[in-house]
Amino acid sequence: MLVEASASASLEPEIQRVGRALADAFPSHRANPLKALDNRAMELAAQDAELRAALFRFVDVVPACRSLDDLAAHLTSFLEQVPTQPPSLRAAMRMGDTRAGRTALGAAGAAGVRHMAHRFIVGEDPQSALQTLRKLWRDGIAASVDLLGEATVTAQEADRYAARCAAALATLAGAYSQLDEQPLLECDAGAPLPRANLSVKVSALTPLLRPEAPQRGQRDAAPRLRGLLRQAEQLGAHLHIDMESLDSREAVLELVLDLLAEPEFAGGPSAGVVLQAYLRDSPQTLDTILGWAARTPRAQPLVVRLVKGAYWDHEVVEARQHGWSVPVFERKADCDANFEALTARLLEARPLVRVAIASHNLRSVAHAIARNHQLGAGPGDVEFQVLRGLGDDLGQALAARGLRVRSYCPVGDLVAGMAYLVRRLLENTANESFLADQAHGVPLERLLAAPEASAS
Amino acid sequence: MSTLPAFGNEPILELRRATERSRLAVGLGELHLPLKVPVWIGRERRFGEELVSTDPGRPERVVALAARATPAEAEAAVATAATAFAPWAATPAQERSAALLRAAAWMRERRAWLAALAVRECAKPWPQADADVCEAIDFLEFYARGALALRDGAGAQLLQMPGERNALRYAPRGVCAVIAPWNFPLAIPMGMTAAALATGNTVVLKPAEQAPGCGLRVVEALRAGGVPADAIALLPGDGDTGAALAANPAVATIAFTGSGPVGLELLRTAAQVKPGARQLTRVVAEMGGKNCIVVDSDADLDEAIPAIVESAFDYAGQKCSAAGRVLVHKALHDALVERLAGAVAGLQVGPADDFGTDVPPVIEREAQQRVQRYIAIAQQDGEIVSPRDDVPGEGWYVAPVVATGLAPDSLVLREEVFGPLLAVESVGDVDEAMDRVDALPVALTGGLFSRNPRTVQRVIDRSPVGNLYINRSTTGAMVGRQPFGGNRLSGTGTKAGGRDYLLHFVEPRVVTENTVRHGLVV
Repeated sequence: MLVEASASASLEPEIQRVGRALADAFPSHRANPLKALDNRAMELAAQDAELRAALFRFVDVVPACRSLDDLAAHLTSFLEQVPTQPPSLRAAMRMGDTRAGRTALGAAGAAGVRHMAHRFIVGEDPQSALQTLRKLWRDGIAASVDLLGEATVTAQEADRYAARCAAALATLAGAYSQLDEQPLLECDAGAPLPRANLSVKVSALTPLLRPEAPQRGQRDAAPRLRGLLRQAEQLGAHLHIDMESLDSREAVLELVLDLLAEPEFAGGPSAGVVLQAYLRDSPQTLDTILGWAARTPRAQPLVVRLVKGAYWDHEVVEARQHGWSVPVFERKADCDANFEALTARLLEARPLVRVAIASHNLRSVAHAIARNHQLGAGPGDVEFQVLRGLGDDLGQALAARGLRVRSYCPVGDLVAGMAYLVRRLLENTANESFLADQAHGVPLERLLAAPEASAS
Repeated sequence: MSTLPAFGNEPILELRRATERSRLAVGLGELHLPLKVPVWIGRERRFGEELVSTDPGRPERVVALAARATPAEAEAAVATAATAFAPWAATPAQERSAALLRAAAWMRERRAWLAALAVRECAKPWPQADADVCEAIDFLEFYARGALALRDGAGAQLLQMPGERNALRYAPRGVCAVIAPWNFPLAIPMGMTAAALATGNTVVLKPAEQAPGCGLRVVEALRAGGVPADAIALLPGDGDTGAALAANPAVATIAFTGSGPVGLELLRTAAQVKPGARQLTRVVAEMGGKNCIVVDSDADLDEAIPAIVESAFDYAGQKCSAAGRVLVHKALHDALVERLAGAVAGLQVGPADDFGTDVPPVIEREAQQRVQRYIAIAQQDGEIVSPRDDVPGEGWYVAPVVATGLAPDSLVLREEVFGPLLAVESVGDVDEAMDRVDALPVALTGGLFSRNPRTVQRVIDRSPVGNLYINRSTTGAMVGRQPFGGNRLSGTGTKAGGRDYLLHFVEPRVVTENTVRHGLVV
């Protein structure tokens, strides 16, 4: 522990230096990610919890509305629940009194939501996303495509999602093969990296994920995931399996590690899993992953994407409702400190695994860069991942510093994308969000301060 | 004075963790079957094998061999409870509550073992067997506190004038006959019994004939906690035993949970003042429903489908709160039916001790036959959209079924099936759906999926049911959070697990004392 602490202390000046340099490298015309959203509603929402709830509920229901009139009826009925309405909202409410007003209001609401959605969703399908993906590649940024869709509740829906994923792999592999070389994006110290990269969700590959019976979902998803792994192998693409809520963690992790250990996948494809730093027991999960990697030789090392985790509210609510101990850190600093500890362990575990640091927290990212440097690894030996629409500025700043950046790009229609969108918006306006802090002018030294974990 | 910590629900096991699952499975190994269940009056136990409960998933496995109480034993049980009433009523509320809390602790120490019995005797799948044990503990903890609050808070609201002192207190009513069902084989008998005991009544418990083993554990827990032997009798038996209890003039209160016909018969019996009766018999009855879930056009089917599946098919639909009908806006009807049928096709029908089971067997052969009759009617009156024939051959299994296009007068839309059969109907709008809900003579639970606050409010205003659930499943009421019970012909409007419930087990007594002597207030 002493060694650990002193190593961290000696790293601190370097973290600060890297963090400041990154902040300076943010594209200056849009230094503020929240304002970059160009959306007054977001600013308003960040300040007023009731209004935020109303707007999120509206965004959530837009796909189910059958007409502009229906849209307006929903919008006004959400807004009337906001106790203190800004003048602009009172005007909107009055529009709801007439049919013509409702049509105009509905159209404006739908347009607003679509406008926002386009910031996060790069295309209705992989084909239409290619233009954006090509531009990103030319700008020195790789991508991982995520296919949005309805929840999977039937076997047919799971089959359809698997088919969409297979088609996306083919489309991406074909398109990326046409692009110019980007050495930083397609090889690291060890070996070449696939250009085409698809992220998939096990919850979409089976309707049978049961928290108390992980084997059911595993059995049902295995054939579909195996098919995608085979296809990724044939196309030389990377397949990343996302992590979702804790309810499915055991099913997802066991499934992926079991399949990748099958002899037919020893040579490939490149594949990855996700480690969620907000889970208190994530260090044990990392033990599991590293133990597996040590005894499972594969031509392409497993990629571990380290994230904070996107289901914080869900995990807290579920645990509280059931009287369970909350599985996630409830203090942001504890989560940030764990993120750094896991970063260090992952970087040190190379070349057993490849490491992707997926965070919009400037401090977490600067720490990973400094630690990577301290360990004597090259800039291409760690990957940084950002979310399309939220982490674009950070991604550009990182790419400008010669680091490998991958943008997580959702693809899908507006209807299917809404649930995803709402989660991203919530994250962005949450009180403890790094981006919100940054947007509201919290000084750089506080943003870069070392997270102080509570004694435990 | 009472220094109990505030009530909190007993946490269900976190079964998404493998360690917790293995803890439960240990419980099966600790069961030594068959159990011998006696007629247990005071310290006297008479064993017998007239009643046999078996594992619904493996009927040749005998879970419990029970004596069937004779009419004489029913009378003796009531007489013993009547003798025990005065001392138990005179026991300070604090001590009575302490006994219930010790019973809760006894159960808490034996959670896996108790859950395993519910798995075997009633085919409760593990998560629900665990929840049943937790709910039994909740009832003990909740009513122990409620009885103290009733003692401390009674009469505080009376108007006081100079020269007089007004006081109201709640006195226990006497012997309570608890007639319990098998579908929550620990929680419901424990809940009714604990409410009666906490308030100072004595109890004769008749467990369901399908679940005498669980009934035995309820009485064991209470006696282990310190409830006097004479104050709680176990009377395994069948419908005749229940009828004998109801007809006994010394029974002051009947607490019943079960089917509508039996409940109505008990109400009729209780309403007739028996020769020798010294008080009116009160009935606390919780009966069936025909529970509807309304799905408006703006519902999120991604959330509605899993919630509907859970509401209709968990525990094979054998909950009084289970959904029997879905009334869906015509704009969503086809999409909902297609996705629902697909979801139901993936449900695993299997034994309760398999963590992967979605739909366990129904309780007994008669239940299986009854559900199959209703499925045949649904086939005649409409269409089955999720046909399957892959259920295990041994055991009382019924494949989960979704029916559509039923004729409006179909029995399937009116009668409680108490099995895995769900009817889906198309409606023009939410108001039409609420008209259909309102036309039913029963009103237990209901559900609504809508994302418009105005629609939600309109349905709340029109809904007659005892428990309405918005944008979630209609089952799983929690003690202290969702006091549970139905209206109309579904029940007496009493709310188990709610603050008012204990009032049904007591009688208020008011004392007014003149404090003026010779013109002076003294």
